[in-house]
Amino acid sequence: MKKLALAFACTAMAASVLGMTAMADDNVINVWAFTDEVPGMIEKFKEAHPDFGYEINSTIIATTEGAYQPALDQALMAGGEEAPDIYCAEAAFVLKYTQGDMAPFAAAYKDLGIDVDTLLSEGDIAQYTVDIGTNPDGNLVGLGYQATGGAFIYRRSIAKDVWGTDDPAEIATKIGPGWEKFFEAAAELKEKGYGIVSGDGDIWHAVENSSDAGWIVDGKLHIDPKREEFLDLSKQLKDNGYHNDTQDWQDAWFADMKGEGEKQIFGFFGPAWLINYTLAPNCGGEAVGEGTYGDWAICEPPIGFFWGGTWVLANKDTAKADAVGQIIQWITLDTSEDGLQYKWANGTLNGEGGTKDAVASGTVMAKSDGTLDFLGGQNMFDVFVPANQFANGKNLTQYDETINMYWRDQVREYTAGNKTREEALEGFKQQVSENLGIEAE
Amino acid sequence: MKKKKSLSYAKWGYIFVAPATIAFLIFSLYPILFTAVLGFTDFKGVATTTFHFLKDPFENYKAILSSGLFRKALANTFGMWICNFIPQIGLALLLAAWFTRTHHNLKGQGAFKVLMYMPNIITAATVAILFNALFGYPMGPVNDILVKLGIFAKPVEMLRNKMVARGVIVFIQFWMWYGYTMIVLISGILGISPEIFESAAIDGANGWQTFWKITIPNIRTILLFTLVTSLIGGLQMFDIPRLFQNGNPDNATLTTSLFIYNQAFSGSYMYNRASAASMIMFVIICFFSAIMFYFLRDKDEIAENKIMRRQEKEYRKQLKAQKRMEAGR
Amino acid sequence: MNRKKLDLRSIEYLVCILLAVLSIFPFWIMIVNATRSTTQIQQHAISMIPSTYALNNFKVLTGKSFKPIVGFTNSLIISIGATACAVYFSTMTAYGLVVYRWRGRQAYFTAVMAVMMIPAQITMIGFYQMMYRLHLTNRLSMLILPAIASPTMIFFMRQYMVGALSLEIVQSARIDGAGEFRIFNQIALPIMKPAIATQAIFSFVSSWNDLFRPLVLLTNQKKYTMPIMVSLLRGDIYKTEYGSVYLGLTLTVIPLMIVYFLLSKYIIAGVALGSVKG
Repeated sequence: MKKLALAFACTAMAASVLGMTAMADDNVINVWAFTDEVPGMIEKFKEAHPDFGYEINSTIIATTEGAYQPALDQALMAGGEEAPDIYCAEAAFVLKYTQGDMAPFAAAYKDLGIDVDTLLSEGDIAQYTVDIGTNPDGNLVGLGYQATGGAFIYRRSIAKDVWGTDDPAEIATKIGPGWEKFFEAAAELKEKGYGIVSGDGDIWHAVENSSDAGWIVDGKLHIDPKREEFLDLSKQLKDNGYHNDTQDWQDAWFADMKGEGEKQIFGFFGPAWLINYTLAPNCGGEAVGEGTYGDWAICEPPIGFFWGGTWVLANKDTAKADAVGQIIQWITLDTSEDGLQYKWANGTLNGEGGTKDAVASGTVMAKSDGTLDFLGGQNMFDVFVPANQFANGKNLTQYDETINMYWRDQVREYTAGNKTREEALEGFKQQVSENLGIEAE
Repeated sequence: MKKKKSLSYAKWGYIFVAPATIAFLIFSLYPILFTAVLGFTDFKGVATTTFHFLKDPFENYKAILSSGLFRKALANTFGMWICNFIPQIGLALLLAAWFTRTHHNLKGQGAFKVLMYMPNIITAATVAILFNALFGYPMGPVNDILVKLGIFAKPVEMLRNKMVARGVIVFIQFWMWYGYTMIVLISGILGISPEIFESAAIDGANGWQTFWKITIPNIRTILLFTLVTSLIGGLQMFDIPRLFQNGNPDNATLTTSLFIYNQAFSGSYMYNRASAASMIMFVIICFFSAIMFYFLRDKDEIAENKIMRRQEKEYRKQLKAQKRMEAGR
Repeated sequence: MNRKKLDLRSIEYLVCILLAVLSIFPFWIMIVNATRSTTQIQQHAISMIPSTYALNNFKVLTGKSFKPIVGFTNSLIISIGATACAVYFSTMTAYGLVVYRWRGRQAYFTAVMAVMMIPAQITMIGFYQMMYRLHLTNRLSMLILPAIASPTMIFFMRQYMVGALSLEIVQSARIDGAGEFRIFNQIALPIMKPAIATQAIFSFVSSWNDLFRPLVLLTNQKKYTMPIMVSLLRGDIYKTEYGSVYLGLTLTVIPLMIVYFLLSKYIIAGVALGSVKG
């Protein structure tokens, strides 16, 4: 009997020891993000505030495999000392955390000691990021630091070869407005052996966020005509060989940025962050003349759209509300030259000459300079600031990431000729209804 | 007095099986019952903890059984299992026959066995991601080889093809498990009494005849055991399809476990439907287990009786010993 | 030896060698690519010659929340804990079944066989909900304690014990005045050593390789096991760092391979032993 008791005591002890390790230090702030962007910012915040006194423990899980959301959801639900204090959400699923299923976990900014109203108006923060970040009770729970209005980002050398000019104003009239002109341009490019985009994913983001309604209307799956048209646009691209048939975020897509794909690719659709974080690191060089560096320019896209953006939220159960509030305010609402957004817009966060981005604060944008060597000296803000008018939260839903994944997969089946248009639509509706419990209209 | 003694030993039997029983009740039985209950409720949504029973208790079951995706997942799971099991058992039998031959033995058997079994112990998650990288596009090792050999003119995005994606998973399963099956069969064949083989040799049976007429019938139970455990393992396939292609393309590699996981732990967190699907899988697995136990039943009863008899003998011996001791005292 | 026999044998050797190569080749590519830079891999994905970028890849890897030491430690705690629980308590249960005669013993054993095939996945939703409600998610112990009830192992241990443990020994120990637990711990356990070794290895490997339960139960990255970390390797954000992916995979494989090649004799003997139970 003693032995049995001993054995039980041992296991119980082991259990409690293991349980104990769950106890965290009091001065650790847990940050969950899907890129290293926000954790990197917070590191800089700490450098600038040596007496801040908190350690950062960041968890970074990429969204590419759809792994981030389930992990974050469960971490929030599990609660306790190790629960996220600050967490990030992307445009494709932010509504779930600000207004949808997970909204009850988000802390109101004002409860973090942030003077929301004053700072919002002082900073002239883009209204759409405020709308998306406001919960059903009318409290602001999340804000982005970027403005993610989109442009068409193209190769100057190819533009010159095909149209004899690389002037953004002229190229904008070649590829747009509207998809019809875009496809005319695609045909012209094809004659010279170029593809207009890398894959159908490139035009998807433009289609997605220029549509009038989102995937879910009144609790039912709604396929907006503009989104349904994507089937045809994608098919047209594929059948005519206007692209390299790559998938975004896959190797072949990145290879096209370097100009090493099957054929040279003219351009990509994207907001400012695509330039900094995707095109520049994958262009095969770090100075003009290396790879495709410096061979890029941006112009108005055939249709207005926005894509992505990161919203920063705080856990309502955080024990470090003040510290969390300081960080969040610095990232999203501090529009001084010491604030994150100014450094972000001007590429000075990690020292001079860093990557630049369009930010949410109009005040900051007004005093920032978006000139980039990568774009051959073009000031990207000239295009992105007007583009931001297309950014809105009207067609977002909380399940966008998941639904988009299903949609894109079915569209690929259709364009590859494995399914008819009808079958693809059916397959899509089936997945949404069976995996999410959302029926088609 | 003696009777009391044996009764007090019986108490120890209960004590010894208690820990495992308690752990089973807490960590297996209760969760199963809880899952079963959830299958009849409206319990879904990420942040909810309350649930209500449905008016139509079988609503979730109906939803799952009429679900095209679940059927597809079931078909994929069985399909991929069959495609991997047939060549697996075939190759394993062949190798087992070679390795158990008494004449003209192959040299280096030990090393071959060690290498062939190796993939079985490697983490399935690692293997899935490794194969995903190997089939990378445009520049993965497989593409590299095929282009170099001139089989492909240019790199091909092979995994977008449903049959290739399924085929790779089938291959991974086959590759990870044939070594295991082989070793199991070898031990089965070695367990056959050598006299049977000798008398077959005297009767003039050739190798082929011996294999089909003697070896196979004598390892019947082991073959059945392998079949059923492999099937039940196959029905749980999760790590590889999830990490290899996450069920894609077009759900061609969606398995039932992945389906259940996706229902319960992503999207809109439909614990209720996932519970119903779990219970359906439970029934399927019980069905196959029952078949196996039906065929293995006799053997176990015999073993059981043998133990009983021996214990009786033991008991009598014990009585005798005690009597002798008493007499001696 | 006639010509036909010779040909047949060379075919047999050829097949065996091919299969052996097939077992090694993917891992060889993996290990070599772990030392090459992503650029090198993207130019030529296959190379037999290692390069010098392992350290570089390691830096990229640790930058992606891949913490091999954390994952390794957690996996080790879970695997050792679960294995110890499973082996000790299964042997104990088997002992209870073999040595003592008690009412319901037969039914108990039938029940053990009946629940043997229930996979953890079936119970997962209920298990997760129970853990969530009790605030026990993120506890490694919750992945260890369920191993106390391992029906398959109880079955195996019982089958082995019936043949290996003679009741006379138990009886004579009793006469010497040993308590029941002492008899179990000091006499039965040593006799069961071969079976324990075999089962311990399999329990350890399957616990180490498990993805499903940790994936559902553990959300705190300090608690992540090696397979969870592996599962997150594929997701890359701004570009695919193949070198570091291969390195991460290699780090998970190397310890397993070392253990395997050290113990391969016993492992293979164990597989053979385990199969006779049918």
